[in-house]
Amino acid sequence: MILRISWLLARPGRAGVATIALPLIAFATVTALLLVVIGGAQKFWGWSDDDGFIYQFLAMIALVLLVIPLSALGGAAARLSARRRDDRLATLRLLGATPATVTAITVLESTVVAVGGALGGVLLYLAAVPLVGLIPFRGEALGAGSVLLNPLLILAVVGGVALLAAVSAVLGLQRVLISPLGVRMRDNAPRQHWIRVVIAVAVIGGTYAAMGVVGAGLPLAVMMTVIGVGFGGTLAVLNLLGPWVVRLMGRIQLRRAKTPARLLSARGILESPKDAWRQVGGVAMTSFMAVFAGTGVGVMTAISGGSSADLELLYDIQTGVLITVIGSFLMVACSVGVNQAANILDRRDIYESLAKLGMPVETMERARRRTVMAPLFLTSLGSAAISALVLLPLAGAALIFAPGSVFLIIGVLAAGIALVWVGLLATRPVLERAARLG
Amino acid sequence: MTTAILEASSLTKTFGPTRALDGVRLSVAAGESVAIMGASGSGKTTLLHVLAGITAPDSGRVIFAPPTGVVDVTSLGERDRSRLRREQFGFVFQSGLLVPELTAIENVALALMLNGTGRGEAEHQASGWLTALGLAGLEDRRIGQLSGGQAQRVAIARAQVTGASVIFADEPTGALDSHTSTEVMDALLGSTVGQGHTLVVVTHNDEVAARCSRIIDMRDGRIVGERVPA
Repeated sequence: MILRISWLLARPGRAGVATIALPLIAFATVTALLLVVIGGAQKFWGWSDDDGFIYQFLAMIALVLLVIPLSALGGAAARLSARRRDDRLATLRLLGATPATVTAITVLESTVVAVGGALGGVLLYLAAVPLVGLIPFRGEALGAGSVLLNPLLILAVVGGVALLAAVSAVLGLQRVLISPLGVRMRDNAPRQHWIRVVIAVAVIGGTYAAMGVVGAGLPLAVMMTVIGVGFGGTLAVLNLLGPWVVRLMGRIQLRRAKTPARLLSARGILESPKDAWRQVGGVAMTSFMAVFAGTGVGVMTAISGGSSADLELLYDIQTGVLITVIGSFLMVACSVGVNQAANILDRRDIYESLAKLGMPVETMERARRRTVMAPLFLTSLGSAAISALVLLPLAGAALIFAPGSVFLIIGVLAAGIALVWVGLLATRPVLERAARLG
Repeated sequence: MTTAILEASSLTKTFGPTRALDGVRLSVAAGESVAIMGASGSGKTTLLHVLAGITAPDSGRVIFAPPTGVVDVTSLGERDRSRLRREQFGFVFQSGLLVPELTAIENVALALMLNGTGRGEAEHQASGWLTALGLAGLEDRRIGQLSGGQAQRVAIARAQVTGASVIFADEPTGALDSHTSTEVMDALLGSTVGQGHTLVVVTHNDEVAARCSRIIDMRDGRIVGERVPA
């Protein structure tokens, strides 16, 4: 029965093509990235020397960094599936379908979309294999043959993505089923406690002090440990501090808002600073990581004394960081697209009513754009600045000894922001449909 | 004789195989209140949307004639119809459809800000309307913190704050109990026809319709009757 109803519901709805295309593109991107990283890791696993372990360890970190946003993306895609079929699912509920049936239909649809996207991702991966094979590690190209995965392993990844999408869908649906209006009906905008700032300042101060000892003739392994612990601690603090800073920014914007778009945007941010942060937090963390790792590696390369093994490892870490940063930005752009499409569908009655009142779609679009881009600029530039601050003793040196790596980081950050902009732009047709009258 | 502020002639509108409007003619005088009644699917909401320039008809004309000049609503493009709705018309929807993250005063001020009024002045005028509608002290409440009746009065203030000459209300009491319905209709009539403005209401509710100066009955996209409430 569930299969039959799902098939009936699979016809195009009023939300348009973008709502199905966005999760498809998102899952395709995620799958392709996963396969590329696993392909690279496959090569690393063939190395059995001491340094080989470091490569395997870093590949694992890259995988973990990809799996976390993947599950968040799965949840967002499920929410979008539910919203896309909102009217039809509501009718089913009225006809007596149990929440379990509605959940099963939505999860099934979400999983089918995930599988479709994942298969597209496999094609993307296969097309990318020759290029990925050219990436140098340990002084030589990886080789296309080394990063090409066994078909069974590819199938397992597709299955894993589908499973993750299904599990995230079940979790993501809890909120939809409990309250169809989601967070919008909340009586009070949530508050963020100031204690977050105190903890953040303490950790950042501690890391700043610890960085003072880096470079004082310590062995590479100790330097890497200090930088690693500092990186982890400050990254955790960013998550703590992010929503608080976003809320503060929202309050300042609200006071200064002179136009409808700015007023709507400021209130949109204040409605849930946590959600606003979650949407762009990935970029903030990536910015932080890019500056931290880029600066650290740049300086260590310059002062490592020219040991060719150390230099090789440091260059390879830089390559890995760059790949992870690009992957992370791609994922954030997908997340922004999927989340925005779901948000528009959440609010389509409001958008339609605003259009009836005579609000131009351009004003709605400006408000929406500002709601995403303002926290994005603040958090990405802020995170990069915090990163540079805790690394101040090293950042100055990096600018002198390794200016190339600094400019590379700036370029990658700009590209990341542009990617998110593209993700946002991709959802404009969804808004235009939601606000279309007659 | 009172001049017509809205004049509709030979309106037709189809949605797929459904003929929502079938040669409708209607004249609405300035300062009157007109209730449009009919079963679901009779075309009453489509008529309201066409009169208000929300939907373009397939054929026929709607002439809007405020004291400032005559406008052929049906000849306007999408952008000009949006501006007309923003500047000359006010809307009250069934469930308010206010922006949930904005406060009551911001929801009302938004309508003025869309027309270029500065935020300070817009909030000043919005505050006056909220007070007039019995919502003094609730200006900074978010919509979720208001009762259904209070939220609907905020929607009435939003519709009126721009000085709209015609207010369109689509089932304004549809989601309210009878006691609150009476209060909301008091507020709606008092702030529209009570101020010399025009009110067009789509409703299923006989009691709501009975409070208007004229009732139009619709069936299958046509006006099949017109009465004056007793």
